[in-house]
Amino acid sequence: MEKDKTAIIHPRPSSIVASLYTLRDLDIDVAILHGPAGCSFKHARLLEEDGMHVLTTALDENGFVFGGHDELVDLIKKAADQFNPKKMAIVGTCVSMIIGEELHDAVIEADIDIPVVEVEVHAGYRDNTKGVLLALKSALNVGIITEAELKRQTHLLNSATEIEKKHGAASKAYLAPSRGDLKYKVAKRIYELLSNNKKGLIIMNVKKETGYMFADILLAINQAAEQLSVLENIINFANIDDSVGLPRVRQHAKNIQKGFFEHNIKLNENIGGLDEYAINGDKVKKLIENKYSDFDFAIIVGVPHAIPNDITSSMEIFSVTNGPRQVLPLKEMGHEHVIVEIDLHPKTLGVSSIVESEFGATLREVTKDHKMEKCLELN
Amino acid sequence: MQDKKIIAIYGKGGIGKSSTASNIAAACADEGYKVMIIGCDPKSDSSINLLGGKRIPTILGLLKEEKDIEEKDIVFNGYNGVKCVEVGGPEPGIGCAGRGIIVAIQKLKEVSKVHKDMDLIIYDVPGDIVCGGFVAPIKKGFVNEAYVLTSGEYMPLYAANNICRGLSKINTELSGVICNSRSVTREKEIVNKFATQLKSEMLAFIPKEQLVQDCERDGFSVIEKEPRSQIAAIYRELGNKIMSTKKSSIPVALEDEELRELIR
Repeated sequence: MEKDKTAIIHPRPSSIVASLYTLRDLDIDVAILHGPAGCSFKHARLLEEDGMHVLTTALDENGFVFGGHDELVDLIKKAADQFNPKKMAIVGTCVSMIIGEELHDAVIEADIDIPVVEVEVHAGYRDNTKGVLLALKSALNVGIITEAELKRQTHLLNSATEIEKKHGAASKAYLAPSRGDLKYKVAKRIYELLSNNKKGLIIMNVKKETGYMFADILLAINQAAEQLSVLENIINFANIDDSVGLPRVRQHAKNIQKGFFEHNIKLNENIGGLDEYAINGDKVKKLIENKYSDFDFAIIVGVPHAIPNDITSSMEIFSVTNGPRQVLPLKEMGHEHVIVEIDLHPKTLGVSSIVESEFGATLREVTKDHKMEKCLELN
Repeated sequence: MQDKKIIAIYGKGGIGKSSTASNIAAACADEGYKVMIIGCDPKSDSSINLLGGKRIPTILGLLKEEKDIEEKDIVFNGYNGVKCVEVGGPEPGIGCAGRGIIVAIQKLKEVSKVHKDMDLIIYDVPGDIVCGGFVAPIKKGFVNEAYVLTSGEYMPLYAANNICRGLSKINTELSGVICNSRSVTREKEIVNKFATQLKSEMLAFIPKEQLVQDCERDGFSVIEKEPRSQIAAIYRELGNKIMSTKKSSIPVALEDEELRELIR
């Protein structure tokens, strides 16, 4: 089979970073990047806020030329002393993999008595999901996950890669970033539909911790509907099944469920786990076919391009993404309104409850304004 | 599990590693062993004399075309069933041959299980271990014995000594020194002494014979083309020694001055 050779020229997520996020989901306490100090800097810092220490051997020109074995051994020992971790990981970078550094040798030599996951990864893979797979395979080697979980995750990742190629950031040779439609206008339109007694589906199909912010949009729409006394016109879908996935991902699902409970949100359809966003499309499709085909509009948040567009074609579609390069593909899928929650991901790291979204805040303001207008009319 | 021999033959460039490797492979195949040869030089000519002078597609060459690779695309049957694999690599002066070796060995292990049935796997590695990638056969290919090939001349000895220093650094045992003669004076004595000083031994003294060249010009090993020759017998004896050797130890490299003293 010939591989797809379309060259994609916009920068895309790094497989080294994908490995780091996976290690965090495995509750690794300290991850050591074996490479230059600046490699994956931004995400390393964000992950620190999420409770995983990320360190670097800071290889310099000398390290590139003479290798960094001793530096790595020293840092493993130092990290073990300083942070007292239960689980550690060593993560490769482009430079250490090119010069053939042996992560395993350093781990053996450092000889610390906790599991150490060795991920031989660089950023040169076409699909960044390769970084997740490499981390999971290494985790299996030290017995941190089961064979069954690896199999499940492999299936999920392959599906995720597929949807990115079909309708996502890997769908075109170049995708210009966009901020999408104006949030104020979109909020007004949703408010209008609700006031006109239209029936709407809110489909929250989110990837892991991003759910903390996308959930706020579901919340805001429910609040608007409640205020207009049309809650019965709204059906909530969300992928917050807490019985599947890596430990940390299950905890996120529990936390979001708790948030919904506290706000009296009725979850009509729990469509899957927080890591199953790429395979939930068919489930959503069947549910709509069987139960909700006469609805007027749908608001899809999180990974909207994973929901097949044929099923929602008769509805007015709103989608909310956190990827500026996702706007164009969503418009091409026929979504009338596409908005972007800029910088969503950093704000959802290190949190354990629902956080306010810009669109949620906008819709709440719109709702408040209308309420005031109504009060003034009555007076 | 020390029943399977996974060996690497090191030595200065041009000293005859590929010739020796092909002849050992052919000799051991004749003895009924299952043999595989993995050429790690970007020139990709390690197995050429087991294949009647033909070149085979290389792992890296196929990877570059981004094709899905199966075992049959990269493992070829040579003389008397010897499995031949060539890693390949970039043109001289561009890219990174070292990274190439790492990637190719990983790929080979991923798509091929044939190495599991082998009695003898020979890695034919480039002359000098110039970077991390060149250690990949040992680290990722699980080489359990290393051999060093040298003549009695100073430069090959110097290179061989350097290689031994590298082997001890990466904790790899040396199983013997092979002398590929260039007909210099006191050669046997020099190489013998060199081996002893390394805390190893000289396994074979291969005399300089035009016959080896003649066979190679036609694309054959002497084992295949001139099986009854005297030199073929020497290769056979070496093959037997390699298959039966149990003794190996971390080499102790000589100081430069000791090496100088040796050839004086």
